[in-house]
Amino acid sequence: MHIAFITFLAAATEETAKAGKSIGLGVGGGLGAVGAGVGIGIIFGKAIEAITRQPEMRDEITQLQWLGFALTEACFFYGLVAGLLAAFIV
Amino acid sequence: MSASAHSPGPATSTAPNGARRKLSTKQKLLLAAGVWLGGIVVLAAIYGVKGHRNNAFEPQNEFKLDNWVNLGIFSINKAVLYLVLAAVATCVSMIYIARRMQARPNKVQAAVEVLFSLMRDNITGSAMDEKMAAKWFPFIGALFLFIMFSNLIGYIPLPTNTEHEISVFGLSIPSFSLYAATANLAVPLVLALVVFFSYTFEGVRAKGPIGYLRGLIPGGVTGGMAVAIFFLEVLSNLMRILSLTIRLFANILAGHLIILFMAGALAVILGITALGWFTLPFGIALFAFEVGLVAALQAFIFATLTAIYLGGAVAEDH
Repeated sequence: MHIAFITFLAAATEETAKAGKSIGLGVGGGLGAVGAGVGIGIIFGKAIEAITRQPEMRDEITQLQWLGFALTEACFFYGLVAGLLAAFIV
Repeated sequence: MSASAHSPGPATSTAPNGARRKLSTKQKLLLAAGVWLGGIVVLAAIYGVKGHRNNAFEPQNEFKLDNWVNLGIFSINKAVLYLVLAAVATCVSMIYIARRMQARPNKVQAAVEVLFSLMRDNITGSAMDEKMAAKWFPFIGALFLFIMFSNLIGYIPLPTNTEHEISVFGLSIPSFSLYAATANLAVPLVLALVVFFSYTFEGVRAKGPIGYLRGLIPGGVTGGMAVAIFFLEVLSNLMRILSLTIRLFANILAGHLIILFMAGALAVILGITALGWFTLPFGIALFAFEVGLVAALQAFIFATLTAIYLGGAVAEDH
């Protein structure tokens, strides 16, 4: 009875660790994508707004837009790297 | 009736003939979608949708570095080959074009001139004053081109996968694989360290060690707050190494991984044939996205941030 319970518990712990790693990857990748998606949407929306207001500044705005896009997109990768670390290395 | 009355006569008479001879864009798209969906159904019908997991195939081996030549603590491997290729491409593209400058540029020269003015005016020129820009432009330009070429070479399938060999007419050659030197953590890390030390030395040279450290504190902050802000600024300077590294490394690695999975690795691992056909168009689209946008954009970002850090290190007011 006791031994059976202990083996059940041990198996459950292993499964829980696996589940935790999967959750880590899901949260890192998924929430990272959510945040970066919102950010990239805001950047492109604001860039379109700015260009329609001041079309003569198009080149400058486009350069800033790509800079902002890449900086925001990188945040997704920070989350993803953390998730991958949680899932495969820790 | 009223719609046809408005349209001019010749257009309505030629349109049906043209449509019969040549498919319109819409029809082509519908045909492609039909072939794609039909392929999924046919493959699913032949091979079934339930596959068994393939544990022999390890996708991480795409990024494994086998030693080709051992040189004590150093070794020559796949990443070194890609770095050399990128360095050669950087030097050759610029020197070769510069030697053969013409008054009336051909297409290649025009493209290189656009790149050159992007590097000089947009990346370097907008972040620092003229004298400093003239001094640092070669460094930033070389950084930009080197990163761009190592990213782009990474999307050309090259016979570098020594893990698996294929035989062509009895000759055994390494199988073709996509790999980029920048998808290896060490390469962006070294580039980021070079950038970090360059702008720190430039700042120290311009203001002296004490002046540089004092310059980290924003103007107007005094007393105990200044100490806290100082430590935060030092930390954020160190974090720049990390953010430069991870931005480049993870972008390229994730790009390669997703191309790998979409172009068939997912189907191989799960053992579902129809899935491979299903994901193939996504693989092609992502490949085009990575080649067309991400490769150049990441190089642009790295170079722009380098220029901004260099400009910020010597700026009088923080």
